[in-house]
Amino acid sequence: MQPFTYVRARTVDEAVAAAGSDTRFVAGGTTLVDLMRLEVMTPRTIVDISGLPLDAIEEGPTGLRVGALARNSAVARDPRVRARYPVLAQALESGASPQLRNMATVGGNLLQRTRCSYFRDGVSACNKRAPGTGCAAFDGYHRMHAVLGGSEHCIAAHPSDMAVALLALDAIVHVRGPLATRTVPIADLFLLPKDTPHVEHTIGANELIVHVDLPATPFAAHSRYVKVRDRSEFAFALASAAVAFELRSGRVGEARIALGGVGTRPWRAREAEAVLAGQPPSPELVKKASAAALEGARPRKDNAFKVELARRTVARAFEELLVAQDAKDGGGAR
Amino acid sequence: MKGDIGKPFDRIDARAKVTGTATYTSEIGVANAAHAVIVGSPIARGRILGIETAAAQQQAGVLAVLTPANAPQLPGAAPDPKKGERVLNVLQDDRVWYVDQPIAVVIADTLERAQHAAALVAVKHEAAPVDAALDASIGRAIDAGDLGPNGKASSARGDVASAMATATHRLEQVYRTQIQAHNPIEPHATTAVWHGDNRLTIYDATQGIFNVRDVLAKRFGLEPKNVRVISHYLGGGFGCKGSPWSHVVLAAMAARAVKRPVKLVLTRPQMFALVGYRPTTIQRITLGADARGKLVALSHDTTAECSRFDRFVEPSGLQSRHLYSCPNVTTSHRIVELDVGTPTFTRGPGATSGTFALESAMDELAYAANVDPVELRLRNHATRDEDEDKPYSAKTILQCYAQAAQRFGWSKRPMKPGSLRDGGKLVGWGMASVTYPAKQRPAAATARMLADGTLVVQSGTQDIGTGTYTIMSQIAADALDVPLERVRFELGDTALPEAPLSAGSMTAASVGVAVAGACAKLRAELAPQRRAPDEPWAAVVARSGKPEILATYAAVDSPERAKYSCHSFGACFVEVRIDPLLPLVEIGRIVAAYAAGTIVNPKTTRSQYIGGLVWGIGYALREVSVRDPRSARIVTRDLSDYHVPVETDVPDLEVIQVDEVDRHVNELGIKGVGEIGMSGVTAAIANAVFHATGKRIRELPITIDKLL
Amino acid sequence: MTHAVAVGARAPDLALPALVETADCPRVIAFVHRWHPGADGAALRAELRGLGAELVVVSGTGVWAFGPDDHAERVALLSPRQLATVGARFGVSGRGEAVFVVDEHGLVRIAHRSDAGLAGGLADAIAAAAQAMLADSAPAGMLDRREWNLAALVSGFAFVFLTGCKPRDRAQREAPVEAAALPEGLAIELDVNGKVRALRVDPRASLLDTLRERLGLTGTKKGCDMGQCGACTVLLDGERMLSCLTLAAMAQGKKIVTIEGLAQGDELHPMQRAFVERDGLQCGYCTPGQIMSAVGMLAEAGDRQLTDAEVRHGMSGNLCRCGAYPNIVAAIQSSRPGRP
Ligand SMILES: Cc1cc2nc3c(=O)[nH]c(=O)nc-3n(C[C@H](O)[C@H](O)[C@H](O)COP(=O)(O)OP(=O)(O)OC[C@H]3O[C@@H](n4cnc5c(N)ncnc54)[C@H](O)[C@@H]3O)c2cc1C
Ligand code: FES
Ligand code: FES
Repeated sequence: MQPFTYVRARTVDEAVAAAGSDTRFVAGGTTLVDLMRLEVMTPRTIVDISGLPLDAIEEGPTGLRVGALARNSAVARDPRVRARYPVLAQALESGASPQLRNMATVGGNLLQRTRCSYFRDGVSACNKRAPGTGCAAFDGYHRMHAVLGGSEHCIAAHPSDMAVALLALDAIVHVRGPLATRTVPIADLFLLPKDTPHVEHTIGANELIVHVDLPATPFAAHSRYVKVRDRSEFAFALASAAVAFELRSGRVGEARIALGGVGTRPWRAREAEAVLAGQPPSPELVKKASAAALEGARPRKDNAFKVELARRTVARAFEELLVAQDAKDGGGAR
Repeated sequence: MKGDIGKPFDRIDARAKVTGTATYTSEIGVANAAHAVIVGSPIARGRILGIETAAAQQQAGVLAVLTPANAPQLPGAAPDPKKGERVLNVLQDDRVWYVDQPIAVVIADTLERAQHAAALVAVKHEAAPVDAALDASIGRAIDAGDLGPNGKASSARGDVASAMATATHRLEQVYRTQIQAHNPIEPHATTAVWHGDNRLTIYDATQGIFNVRDVLAKRFGLEPKNVRVISHYLGGGFGCKGSPWSHVVLAAMAARAVKRPVKLVLTRPQMFALVGYRPTTIQRITLGADARGKLVALSHDTTAECSRFDRFVEPSGLQSRHLYSCPNVTTSHRIVELDVGTPTFTRGPGATSGTFALESAMDELAYAANVDPVELRLRNHATRDEDEDKPYSAKTILQCYAQAAQRFGWSKRPMKPGSLRDGGKLVGWGMASVTYPAKQRPAAATARMLADGTLVVQSGTQDIGTGTYTIMSQIAADALDVPLERVRFELGDTALPEAPLSAGSMTAASVGVAVAGACAKLRAELAPQRRAPDEPWAAVVARSGKPEILATYAAVDSPERAKYSCHSFGACFVEVRIDPLLPLVEIGRIVAAYAAGTIVNPKTTRSQYIGGLVWGIGYALREVSVRDPRSARIVTRDLSDYHVPVETDVPDLEVIQVDEVDRHVNELGIKGVGEIGMSGVTAAIANAVFHATGKRIRELPITIDKLL
Repeated sequence: MTHAVAVGARAPDLALPALVETADCPRVIAFVHRWHPGADGAALRAELRGLGAELVVVSGTGVWAFGPDDHAERVALLSPRQLATVGARFGVSGRGEAVFVVDEHGLVRIAHRSDAGLAGGLADAIAAAAQAMLADSAPAGMLDRREWNLAALVSGFAFVFLTGCKPRDRAQREAPVEAAALPEGLAIELDVNGKVRALRVDPRASLLDTLRERLGLTGTKKGCDMGQCGACTVLLDGERMLSCLTLAAMAQGKKIVTIEGLAQGDELHPMQRAFVERDGLQCGYCTPGQIMSAVGMLAEAGDRQLTDAEVRHGMSGNLCRCGAYPNIVAAIQSSRPGRP
């Protein structure tokens, strides 16, 4: 780890004032401390925000409001989240390990960084870690890498489960800068790698995420997260799907499909959502939608299987939702 | 005598381990120890042209940076791989053989400073083209010569080719196994303390303290008696801690350079690169059988990867020489030299990779001949070792098949793949035979009766989590009729009588016989001096006027043993459950039966068996060190990318300990249980996957993509 | 004869027939009034290892000689007259105590005599001697320290440790701290197992390394240093977390409980007992992390009885390479009253 100055912020203002380009906030530390020890991230100052009063989960103006420092385990456990935004609780529960979920925060989870092993190893060519050096994964081993949204400069997958669920929930991220507070719809938060893979999101270095709003949409409560990985627990997604839809008189109303593990950013599958809209749910429809979700996938040799796997993951999430709906309606929905 | 052998005593060291007071190597208190961090080569092959150390050296607290340019030339002879000595990479020249090979060592007063300074070391190198994929280079395979401790690399009896021509069922298949990294949870750690220039104490995370002593003595030109190696607790070994790797010598070198003790702990990524691994193998199996499935011919040809500068041959074919009765058998082992670090013994070496191939092939034969897999094995049962042409010291495999099959409910198994379902899941049942050699090596022990009645028994062995402290105490308590609480077993110090390394499942037998011998000798000395038949030993010692009475015994293999082929046997039955849509293989249950002679402690033994099974689950389904063929760097180099099984991957495992009395293997009838759990299980899983899905997977691990 | 034990001079022979005076190993020769093998225990041995030295203690309870990894052995029992003779050879008076560090060539490197007796015990005295030697071997611009005033060093040393137990002013603690500005590191306080310890750390230091390397609490294990194995699990304010990814500085103000803080004296915590009884361990290296994680998990569950499947799920952050998993589940389930 490179030497740094440790600053403990007592207020949000103090935190924002201390921020800067060579500075990082540390919340749970589960991404930052790890990457600093690997010397992949080398801030000169770190601002400890873990003591700030930003961990509340409370009713907000449009739905539930989750503080940026609310721990992943606390959010997953919250009865309101479980009832009204089940996909979020499930996504969080499927992430990392119990200890890590006790440490990880909402803000940190959003801004966690890729697990691409060429990015983490500190020596391989990696445009994300060392712009201009190339992408070792492109022709290397890329079983864990993205099939959607990649460029020749970077195919690193975004690792977050939580962000995939938030994408399906149309979450709004609130950030505090030195001058003002602004909101960022989650869909606008993450950037495609294009030719600047080191620029990953639209939050400025001196901006602090303060909370995330979960709008009370008609589909939020009818949502599900399915994650597929290489072992039964404690692994990043090979593919995951957050699916939410509302069923109106036997037809799909508004729907959301977001994918994890397959995209260079948490992936919203709008084409698939369009396929569903207004249709009565059926196995064929699900098949069509999940095929549409992977439209445009550009797999490479080691991750070609992910295209099929992701389709099936979407299908499974659907299936489970319909089964749950069936159970609720006593079999009337289909 | 009083029957302590065979009782399920709680592990004696458990209390220390659950309270955190058991001190593992890096935790032994050494005031003012400096911390060393190894800098690894970024290239796999070539030369170091220069190492820029100025930036590192300017960091506060940095005491030294050793590189090939300034590291002392070691006075001792370099190791000779032909003698089975491991070649170490300890900054003696500028050659690079593999990625992450040590090319510099940074020593600083704190760990944080050493780590960061290590990151500042920059290397100028001249890289040569890399060859790092077994598959692509199999054309370069050469005969392995010999298998080190496992004898000749090839075997032949009868005439396989002619027999194949007569066979009704012929099968020829290639099976592939992957790199498995040992990954004990305790990383390798060494603390080196010099006492002047000629005496050295090494605290080392090792399975073999005497081995470490001898290697260091040789490299530093010291008398072996002036090198003391200590290892009281080991946080797992599994083979990678079997003999010292480069970092042990580097730690001693660093301590000498900075004139103070040095602590060196490998990082987790270094654990994938510097301390061996189970190598990739490509195994071709040919089976010929008559109409009933009786084998008439068997060949097992293994090609494994190895480094260019040293030798290790994965002995995958060994069990195929004797497990089944077959008149015509050949086995061979070849290696391909690649630009990689040297592989090494990994829990159940040979048997783990080899039984995957053999027992998968037997399952394929069962389907070809349409014979139940258990029945097929019964038809091919060998009553004596046809390879060594000797009787088995004991072979209780038939009872293992019978008991495990019964417990598992095997008789209800439909032969047809894909015919069992539960809920939405495909269910498959598979089985395999299990075998592992029962080895023994010379070992010595001292038994001391103290005046207060404490029995101190000492042997320079190790407890690597296998229960050595406990079972040796039991053997001693039994031999001298003292309560277990009055026995103190001391190990892990080269100042104690010499014992072999803890590997090859031979500690219980080797050291057990020595401990029993020392205690018997002590008893023979004490007993005549008793005034009453039940007079406490303490009274005898007290009368003698000496603080203690002791006896030492050095055990060797009995000549009896040489007349027999000594192996343990078992049978493993597995149920897998597979979601057809998202086919990640889950283990539903495992029932395994083992017969391994005398079981000193069924509780710790069961733990050894289930540990082996968990390893089998990992090898079959989850674990793989992937090497990028362009750089020869391991890409899955941490415990997030390399998937050791987690708690949810493992169901409750049922182990049957089948009674077996082996009168020939050694005086105590002990065969060893540390590795047999890995034998067969991998094939049983793959066979169950076939039964569930109809897909025969011949390449490990069986990950989800292979079943889509 | 005082000159005979000046720094740099050859150390006199102890000339005790029972003592084999090994020539090629550094030695610490200590004159103390009373000493017994239990005194200073682990700390003393750590100091000896640090010096690569064997110890000879000349005391009223006998002459003891041993290496850091040997049982302390009494090689002789001296009469007061004999003691005085030996002491005189080293310039140690009847009432005085002393520590000499003699290198492998037999030359005295450190000589410290005190008529008032050694402050803070033998281990501290040797520690101070070791500090002096380290400072001596440090390269740049050191003072000429031929004769150290060890009394000052010893008490200085003890001070560093003792302040560790004194909680500092609250207001001061809550002020934002600028660390790198302090060359000696960041002053922090950690509440570990109910004791507040003040120390200065490198801001980079993890809680894990601080526990293990600075506070002598090595029960918490390092398996990966990357959050991937669970071996370093501790409780922070009652919740299980990973000490490898927690900076020591960030753990301030939290109640830290490690494996060492679980048992009540000799009485094991029920979870520890269950692990022993069910053989929920083999090598034991993952075990403290497993136990802390299990304790944290049950606290999360409250009164609810967990199913085996829930226990497995809840423990999936703790790798056990020995494969003790089934026994770990059994241990956790049996740790609660009302379960078999
Ligand atoms: C072994 C392991 C396994 C994991 N498995 C999974 C998994 O399966 N699924 C998954 O989704 N995740 C997984 N994770 C990642 C984990 O979820 C993230 O590390 C965690 O969510 C990050 O949160 P944190 O609070 O610890 O972030 P920190 O490490 O504290 O911060 C991360 C980044 O976010 C910035 N940041 C933090 N808070 C704010 C804020 N309020 N405003 C602005 N910037 C901020 C920091 O400056 C830093 O750059 C895993 C992590 C590990 C170590
Ligand atoms: S050491 Fe902290 S999780 Fe492995
Ligand atoms: S007991 Fe060895 S790793 Fe768990």
